[in-house]
Amino acid sequence: MTLRWLKPAFRKQGAAALVSKHSSIGIAAHDDVPVKPPSGYWRLGERSGSGVSILIERRAVWVNSVLILALVLAGITYLCLGSLTLGPREVISALAGQGDMMTGFMVQELRLPRLIAACLTGGAFALAGILMQTLARNRLATPGIIGIDNGATAFAVASVVGMSVSLAPSAMALTGAVTAAVLTFGLAAGSGTQGYRFIVAGIGVGAVFGAITQLLLARVAIDTANAAYPWTVGSLNARSGGSVQLLGIGLALGFVAALALARSLTVLRFSEATASGLGINTGARRIQILLLSVVLTALAVAVAGPVGMVGLIGPEIARALSTPRHVPVVAATLAGALVMVLADLAGRTLLAPIELPVGIVTAIIGGPWLLWILMRPQRSHA
Amino acid sequence: MLRTVLRLSLTGVLLSSLAANAQARELDTAFGEVAVPDTPERIVTLYEGALDASVAAGVTPIGAIATRGGNEVATYMGEHIDTSQLEMVGVAREANIEAILRLQPDLILAAPQLPEEQYRLLSRIAPTVVPNSTGLSKEGWKDESRIFGQALGKDAEINEALEAVEQRAAELNQRLSEAKVGGTAYIVRWMPAGPMVMSSELFSTGVLASAGLTVDDQGLVKEDSAHSDILSLENLSLIDGDWLFLATLNEEGQQALDAAKQSSAFTRLNVVEQDHVVPVNGQVWSSASGPLAAQALLDDIEEALLP
Amino acid sequence: MKVALITRRLEQRTLLALLLTALVAVSVVSLLVGAGTVSPSQALSMLLGSDDSEAYFVVWELRAPRTLIGIAVGMALGVSGALLQAVARNPLAEPGLLGVSAGAAFAVALALVLGASAATLRISVAQLGALVGCLCVLGVARWRGVGNDPIRLVLAGAAFSALLGAMTSMILLFDQRSADEVRFWVIGSLAGRRLEDLWAVLPSMAFCTVLIALIARPLSALALGERMASGLGHHPQLIRAMVVLCVALLVGAATAIAGPIIFVGLVVPFIARAFAGPDIRRTLWFCLPIGPLIILAADIISRVVVSPSELPLGVLTALCGAPVLIAAVRARRLPML
Repeated sequence: MTLRWLKPAFRKQGAAALVSKHSSIGIAAHDDVPVKPPSGYWRLGERSGSGVSILIERRAVWVNSVLILALVLAGITYLCLGSLTLGPREVISALAGQGDMMTGFMVQELRLPRLIAACLTGGAFALAGILMQTLARNRLATPGIIGIDNGATAFAVASVVGMSVSLAPSAMALTGAVTAAVLTFGLAAGSGTQGYRFIVAGIGVGAVFGAITQLLLARVAIDTANAAYPWTVGSLNARSGGSVQLLGIGLALGFVAALALARSLTVLRFSEATASGLGINTGARRIQILLLSVVLTALAVAVAGPVGMVGLIGPEIARALSTPRHVPVVAATLAGALVMVLADLAGRTLLAPIELPVGIVTAIIGGPWLLWILMRPQRSHA
Repeated sequence: MLRTVLRLSLTGVLLSSLAANAQARELDTAFGEVAVPDTPERIVTLYEGALDASVAAGVTPIGAIATRGGNEVATYMGEHIDTSQLEMVGVAREANIEAILRLQPDLILAAPQLPEEQYRLLSRIAPTVVPNSTGLSKEGWKDESRIFGQALGKDAEINEALEAVEQRAAELNQRLSEAKVGGTAYIVRWMPAGPMVMSSELFSTGVLASAGLTVDDQGLVKEDSAHSDILSLENLSLIDGDWLFLATLNEEGQQALDAAKQSSAFTRLNVVEQDHVVPVNGQVWSSASGPLAAQALLDDIEEALLP
Repeated sequence: MKVALITRRLEQRTLLALLLTALVAVSVVSLLVGAGTVSPSQALSMLLGSDDSEAYFVVWELRAPRTLIGIAVGMALGVSGALLQAVARNPLAEPGLLGVSAGAAFAVALALVLGASAATLRISVAQLGALVGCLCVLGVARWRGVGNDPIRLVLAGAAFSALLGAMTSMILLFDQRSADEVRFWVIGSLAGRRLEDLWAVLPSMAFCTVLIALIARPLSALALGERMASGLGHHPQLIRAMVVLCVALLVGAATAIAGPIIFVGLVVPFIARAFAGPDIRRTLWFCLPIGPLIILAADIISRVVVSPSELPLGVLTALCGAPVLIAAVRARRLPML
């Protein structure tokens, strides 16, 4: 964890390249001799003069391109399959607004909005997950596990079954997520945000909200319980257009914010002392990251309910593909979207005509995955 | 080949529904005026009450949703139509819009509480009729049946079916009062921890009332809720009327009665000691509505109260 | 030194006696208070000899059975929590958190879908599910030393519970009727439970009592470490297997009667240890009155807050238990058992 090891980490950020001033980094900035980029990087920009150049990590470019390609392929498959199977060519022409009305309706009105919702929720869950993991320096600390999903769910269900308050589910989910986050972090304050204790505190908070959700569901009529059902398992079938738009805006802003925070994220993985020593205001950064993670989770829960484990699987995939030099924010978001699209595709088609809610698919894949992570010999946390 | 045919015909339907506005009829629905074709042929019902009303009016839909608690339509439907011909397009919780699209209906009959987002999609597939009723009420199902009948172009038939129900109820009412049978009645659903009292503002309680029984929910049921919380066993005396109708979500009313009889708090009720507990089929009593279901309910009442 | 020890033992005897008195008092309150129209004074005068058939029925036919069941469930959950914590050497090991209850709930849902009706559910189904759940989580714990880290074990349990929960939801998707019944069953409650259910689980509970009496001494030796226990002539593997069997039978029985009730198995040993110190045998003795005390207190509250209906017990225990879990986690040092 020497400074030497850290340096490259400052200078790159996936495909969204980080612009860095040589002077601030201090490698050969005042040399007239062109500096070779560190191995594994491309450099764009001026060789001399302004002193500004852009370093792009090759591996990150590769990883993100592959993920985007996979996402596009998965998306097209998603649009093709269903109760009426279409060919890729038909789908593409339908997307372009050509082709006949029935295909157009099916692709543009039925499958495409759901695909978009899947991408957005998957991306938001995974982004929230990797932010929380980095913050807690623990790969198990995703919002789903520390009870934030459950908090959002309890409040959203309360609004659906009409417990006197009639706020829209999105707003209620946000309130619930913030409440749960405040509770978890407040209650675990003494033990710090690191380590597993804070996670167990989160599990406790989650269990309380889970019990409240069950209680709410048990007290209403079966039809109302049915209406609130998506919020208890996670499903993309009952999403409302408004909350998808809200999530889209939230994810776009959150994504940009996460990129802006990327350098801090990289450093926050190390000890508090190291991070402060490197000029990061850790307290303020932590709060920003926490807030971002909670808001993204809440917006995603408002669309799809508590789809478990995406916040865990997405970052895991991203980390497995990327170098450990930095926090793979972009790759995690893409991987989360990919996981969600594939899971929902499986849920829609595997047991047709019965549709399996996406939350059940991800829990069945994610549960064993989580166990596997736990059983691996322990290495570094983040 | 099939797909091409489907597409051509769907395009045809969409175009013709636009072009044929002049001859189509306008209906007042929950989502405003809706133009329906003169003689709809391919009908999909997304509501048990709509299926019942269609069949009562003499029209067999091509697609329907499953009854609550089942994977098929309610079994009483089997007495009127060949249910195996019905394509299942979802469950009460959610309709499968792709499956509906594949059937290319020319008329969709939906439940009063259909969400607006669903309506927007469905109305792109075919004219969608959503009855204009709000909340729970005893007689609301008749208006629902009437509008479904009008949508099908079978005004006369549906009115005839509704009159038949009213006539039969009045007849039964008279026979019951002659036989001096009646009094207060409760409908409950028996859960493992105790009973839930059904609201008095439901289809089934409405039919009971029309046959002359006094249906009450003791103020246990909150407004706009179909049933109460599970009642504590210590308070079973609250449902100790002259008659008790015991339902589950499913057909197994008898099983529910057996379960309830294992509780001593239940067996000591007056209504149980007099053997005035009627186990009923929940598919008809708590899920369905419509003229045919009403006749089935009246059958049950007649059989139980006038043996 | 020795005198101090003896006074400590005496104090503990007194404490235990006090707790038993408190349990009797709470049981009487449980007979007197309810959601119905029979008031405490009515019930009391009936108990003191007045002739009131309604009060007689409510007290002896409704409140007495659920009080008895509450006592049995409380004892089973408290003791199984203490046992599981001792064998996992983990103060956070709780049957509910470790997926044992989830295993039982999954088995019940499966049985419901396969055609059993909620009223006639077999106790053995839940017990079998609990056993499988217990074995799975402890299997994970044994593997690669996850069990050495108390908190990772809890996480494994949470992961396992989530998996079972998803599978339970999935099988219920295919069967709406069962879904309707299960949504009441997944929250623990003592309402409407019959004494027959209690009689049905008594044999297995008696069997566990004998088994625990046999293994209590070796178990406390095991707390000294595996080698020490072997050196004293015990068989650690055998002891563990027997403890797992006991925990599964007890939790399965409690879950089958009352539904999943989480956190009781965590809270009870937590309090018991505060009284009894680290010795497992004494802790088990203290669990016996404390478990029923907590269950009965929660049940009494559940009867009065939303009269004429009742609040499910499981919600109350979750609300009370979570703070204890968090307090346990916040403690500077998690005691290794």
